[in-house]
Amino acid sequence: MANTLQSAAGDSRSTKPDTDSEFLTQVGAGAVLRGALLKLLEVRSEDPIGFLADHFGNLAQSLENGDSGSAVEGDKKQHQQALQSPEEQNQHAGALWHLTQAHYSQRSAFNNNVAVAFSLLSRGGRKRKPGLKGRAYTELLRRVCRDGAVAEPVSAPLIRKLRCQDHEAVPFDLFRRAVLTCFVFADFVRKSRSLFETVSPSDGSLCRAVLGSLRDALETTGCSDPARYLEASAKLTPGRLAQAMDRAQTLASGTPSTLMGQEEFIEEASALFVSRVKRVS
Amino acid sequence: MNSKRFTLPVDEYLALEHVPFYIEDALSQLLEHKEEYTQFGIVRFFADYFNSVRNGNHILFREFSFVKATPHNRSSFLRAFWRCFRQIGKNGDLLTVMEYRSLLQLLCPDFPVELVQKAARIVLMDDAMDCLMSFPDFLYAFQIQFYYEEFFENIAVIYQDLLSGKSPNTVIVPTSFSAEQVTRPATSNTAAQEGVDSPLFCGCIEALCERYKYSHPPLSSIKEILCQVQRVSFYGFLMAIAKHEGINCDIGSLPSKADLLIDPEMDRELEKLIAQISVSPTSNSSSSTVGHKEPVRKASPRKSLHYRRRIDIESDGSNEETDSSEN
Repeated sequence: MANTLQSAAGDSRSTKPDTDSEFLTQVGAGAVLRGALLKLLEVRSEDPIGFLADHFGNLAQSLENGDSGSAVEGDKKQHQQALQSPEEQNQHAGALWHLTQAHYSQRSAFNNNVAVAFSLLSRGGRKRKPGLKGRAYTELLRRVCRDGAVAEPVSAPLIRKLRCQDHEAVPFDLFRRAVLTCFVFADFVRKSRSLFETVSPSDGSLCRAVLGSLRDALETTGCSDPARYLEASAKLTPGRLAQAMDRAQTLASGTPSTLMGQEEFIEEASALFVSRVKRVS
Repeated sequence: MNSKRFTLPVDEYLALEHVPFYIEDALSQLLEHKEEYTQFGIVRFFADYFNSVRNGNHILFREFSFVKATPHNRSSFLRAFWRCFRQIGKNGDLLTVMEYRSLLQLLCPDFPVELVQKAARIVLMDDAMDCLMSFPDFLYAFQIQFYYEEFFENIAVIYQDLLSGKSPNTVIVPTSFSAEQVTRPATSNTAAQEGVDSPLFCGCIEALCERYKYSHPPLSSIKEILCQVQRVSFYGFLMAIAKHEGINCDIGSLPSKADLLIDPEMDRELEKLIAQISVSPTSNSSSSTVGHKEPVRKASPRKSLHYRRRIDIESDGSNEETDSSEN
């Protein structure tokens, strides 16, 4: 990557040696590009050109708005009057944008984005003291779930466990854990939906068998023992799952079949997830 | 782009969408137009530059070497050409090679005539090169000729080799582009009519694609085309590629033929213009060359898309209409 910048500068150097490279240094082109490329390489966006366009666009916007803080914030227009909701909305939108830039499996990129989002939300306004308040934090978690296509009734139990009092100050570590939990939850709900679509054409007993196996596996895991995770995943191998489904079908063959609806399935599956989440004290 | 991008080395990841190329071009543009761009700050400059790359406007009025440099540039250019000149298709005008080239030069001043001629050869099946071509026929042929230029050069070499009876077991991976110099000997005209054996041709193309670094049409589409006939001629093959809807979708610049001429904004503008002209009392003034044109266009039936010799009446019509669409 350093080669890119060097060769680009080098090409121009061959035509008018001093003036061109001097000019580029003077306007700070190298630093700006380096920052952008580092960010791009961290995130490994599927659409690098689009990412760079957004990145520079947000950066230009924040510079034009005269922000004194870090120039990588994705703020939209800042209102000069301290209207709290529009300002908060902008901050929320900016924070959400950052959080969605990298998937949580990209740990370091995701953690960096969470840090940026946190500092964005913690900035004091004209009437607000700095720091992230519980109300904004809870609202953000709701948005993350909503944007992840999780219906309100499904995410409500999770939010209840994660929420803070409206005027409580939220520390960064809690923020990071809660945001990560919400993203993972959104993925979990998505996967449950597709699991349901695979299993559901048959009767409800198979759905319940699948959920039972999942519950069984999840209950096996303990916080401190890595071996338990192996044990848990062994319970979910295709063979074991097939056996469980077969057992359920044999047991149910005498009784009339009861279909299971999608909402019910998702509710039960998400309950399994939420039960594993520690309540915020 | 698939999830492999997370494990690629830095250089390979950036090269996927030609990021270093665009950065270099951005810096060259910045240096060429220093005063203009530093007025608003270089961050705004980079934002505008990458936005225009994303939207496909970046190729307008740029030199040909830039326009052909990446697949994205080529497809953006094709799309821009279509959007600018689709009204010609609506009029049903037929134009010559040089007229199409002039239109292309409006968007790219140094666009080479050879490329336009190659496209025309596909439409006209390498025959009667002074014939007129309809806009859709030319556009689809031009699209594949421009987008897959290098690939077709290699295919031409393979085709010639097969015609001259070289062993089909030779895996041909051409490394140079001297295929430009491949002339078709006079004797091959008859052979060209007969073509080459399709399965054999298909096998050679498959071998080429396996190690090919330039863009090429999806192999499945090529096989689809070649399995329909026992023997295929070179231009027959190219014409089939030009007409193939799957390949058109794969390139992603142009809509399907049914939607090619749809241009609701321009239609509304023209209807407004017509309405103004028809209520205007001074319909004989010179400013109503537009008015003169409108009734002609409305009166003439949609011409069917055949190739005809130039007739005086049509040449007048097409000149005026070409002029207006250049406005």
